[in-house]
Amino acid sequence: MSFGAQAILSGSTHAEASGATAATSSAEKVLELENLHKSFGETKIIRGVNLTVKKQQRHALIGPNGAGKSTLFNLISGHYVPTSGDIRLNGQTITGLPPHLINRRGLSRSFQITNLFPRMSVAENLRISVMGRHGYRFTMFRPIRRIKAVNAEVDEMVERLRLTRRRDDLAGDLAYSEQRALEIGMSLATDPLILMLDEPTAGMSREETAYIVEMIRNVTEGRTLLVVEHDMSVVFTLCDQISVLVYGEVIASGEPAAVRADNKVQEAYLGEEVH
Amino acid sequence: MNLRPIILPAVGVAILVMLPMFLSANMLAASITMMIAALFALAFTLAMGQAGMLSFGHAAYYGLGAFAAIHIMVAVEKKLFFFPTPLIPIVGGAIGFVFGLVFGWFATQRTSVYFSMVTLALAELLYTLAPVWNTVFGAESGIQTERGPSWGITFGPDFEVYYLTLAWFVLSAWCLWAFGRTPLGRLALALRDNEHRVRFLGFNTHLARTLIFAISCLFTGVAGALLAISKESGNYELFGPSNSANVVLQTFIGGAGTFFGPAFGAAVMTFFARVTSDLTRSWLLYQGLIFVLVMLFMPEGLGGIVSLHARRVKSGGWKVLVLPYLVCLVCGALLIAGIVFTVESLHTVLTDAYNAKRVAAKGAWVPYQLFGRSFEPLSPVTWTIPLALLALGGLLLRLATRLISRGWLLATGAAASDDPNGRAAAHDRPQGATA
Repeated sequence: MSFGAQAILSGSTHAEASGATAATSSAEKVLELENLHKSFGETKIIRGVNLTVKKQQRHALIGPNGAGKSTLFNLISGHYVPTSGDIRLNGQTITGLPPHLINRRGLSRSFQITNLFPRMSVAENLRISVMGRHGYRFTMFRPIRRIKAVNAEVDEMVERLRLTRRRDDLAGDLAYSEQRALEIGMSLATDPLILMLDEPTAGMSREETAYIVEMIRNVTEGRTLLVVEHDMSVVFTLCDQISVLVYGEVIASGEPAAVRADNKVQEAYLGEEVH
Repeated sequence: MNLRPIILPAVGVAILVMLPMFLSANMLAASITMMIAALFALAFTLAMGQAGMLSFGHAAYYGLGAFAAIHIMVAVEKKLFFFPTPLIPIVGGAIGFVFGLVFGWFATQRTSVYFSMVTLALAELLYTLAPVWNTVFGAESGIQTERGPSWGITFGPDFEVYYLTLAWFVLSAWCLWAFGRTPLGRLALALRDNEHRVRFLGFNTHLARTLIFAISCLFTGVAGALLAISKESGNYELFGPSNSANVVLQTFIGGAGTFFGPAFGAAVMTFFARVTSDLTRSWLLYQGLIFVLVMLFMPEGLGGIVSLHARRVKSGGWKVLVLPYLVCLVCGALLIAGIVFTVESLHTVLTDAYNAKRVAAKGAWVPYQLFGRSFEPLSPVTWTIPLALLALGGLLLRLATRLISRGWLLATGAAASDDPNGRAAAHDRPQGATA
């Protein structure tokens, strides 16, 4: 039973299985955005974004405030529907699908504002996530405590997130950094092909940031990541690819050193913020 | 295995089984209505308390369940076919479920207050259509019928109906309790807390909410069918807004965050209504007052207060609380007496009957009768009574508050300044959240 959780936390069952079925040229490309546009009324927020996230890449999306990073996240995860363009997950288009179907196809996200079930315990928060992945969505003739596979996996997750001591506490009573850890754990428990983290260290102290970055590195090893982050030190510790979004367009994409050296990036963004 | 969760309900059921031996005919009829109201509240709480869907239109499914039962009973009476009386609630439940699915599919497109509005509108729709569709719902007078004998039982006397209702109540309550422990039941709590997040974890939340709503309607339909069986009649008033509103009020008074609280609240309030409506015409006012006071001073309801004590008071802590609560009781009695005297006096003086007496006495303020005594409406002595009661009660209230907060600290052994009147309960774990 412990096997399931191990697989999720270090590597991936789902990811490899589905990766093998899509044995086309796009097999390595987990997420592709093609000429993506989004307007709210007259205002164009996303203006032709092209972006590719390859398997096991740890991809950071950076950009000044108002560049459209959160909008882009909301488009990819199905919260918004794009005005035009295409989003492909593992080679299949997911444009316009509702969030729950996108999640089931292997894309999971966390939120900028802590987004969990505050009046349920830590273990129960994770259990909702885990039971969905195990296909127990609308089961109503079987008590949940009898579903051993789900409960064992929840226990493992609690341990890996270092929340054992707080297992039965209400999620709403946790410290901020613990809530972030739990939220990331919930996103991860759906065993995604790609995990998207929206500003995982926002509003945290230096110690909390260090704790959460270490935790993310730990639990997402071997996984594909797409992270929005403002803290450059976090970006450079966590990620091996960077894309820069400015005014709804990706102006540069590549390895950190190359992006740093890019003239346009220096001008638009990094110039002031990173030496 | 922990036996505690089994013992309490078992004792409760045992008491309910023995109860008819000690009850008068009138009280037996009352307890049937109380059990039906309790089941209605339990079913409603599945939508409201667990899944956070505040339905203002549950009377629709209550009424549909009742009419389904009535039509079966009519058909059996006319010998169109045979259907065992004890199984009629299944039909009521099925009708409730089907309509819950259809209506719920629309209502659950929206959340919070918009959801409530849609449920209200759908119930009102039935309420307006019902008196027009005479063949289905009868005219103003409704449809009368009779319980048919089945399985060697006549279902004539009330105590047989009592046991039929009890059996369905226990079965339904167990189903609802067990449902809360299944994956879908746990999902209901998650939907209440944060539907948005559930969607991003791969769940079709609209489908989940529709299904949970329909299950709530199923048991509401069972309650409606039981009502029809016990009353042997029904009219379109079943769909009325007062039925929808009552179950909301009863659930909140009982405590929407606990499992049995709403059933308790419904039983108590049904009993209260039955007793007070015979005594005074202002009983609805008192019912409203109770609701306002509960919401103001213990928003977690009666069940919330009980579960708070069960969780927080240490063994032996009860001794410290006896005196404060006794003071509280006396203080409450004084305040209630003051309020009742004022309300009933006004009620008497403002009626047409009193006005007629005044006209007969050429406009003089004649004495009025209350509680078997005569009072002068303009005499200061008359009004000293309620004022004194209220003033004394108010003074005692300050004392009671102080005694209770001190007693609470001692009883729970907590250094934190929690008060037992809800504020502590508000951030405490609601019972529904425990596995």
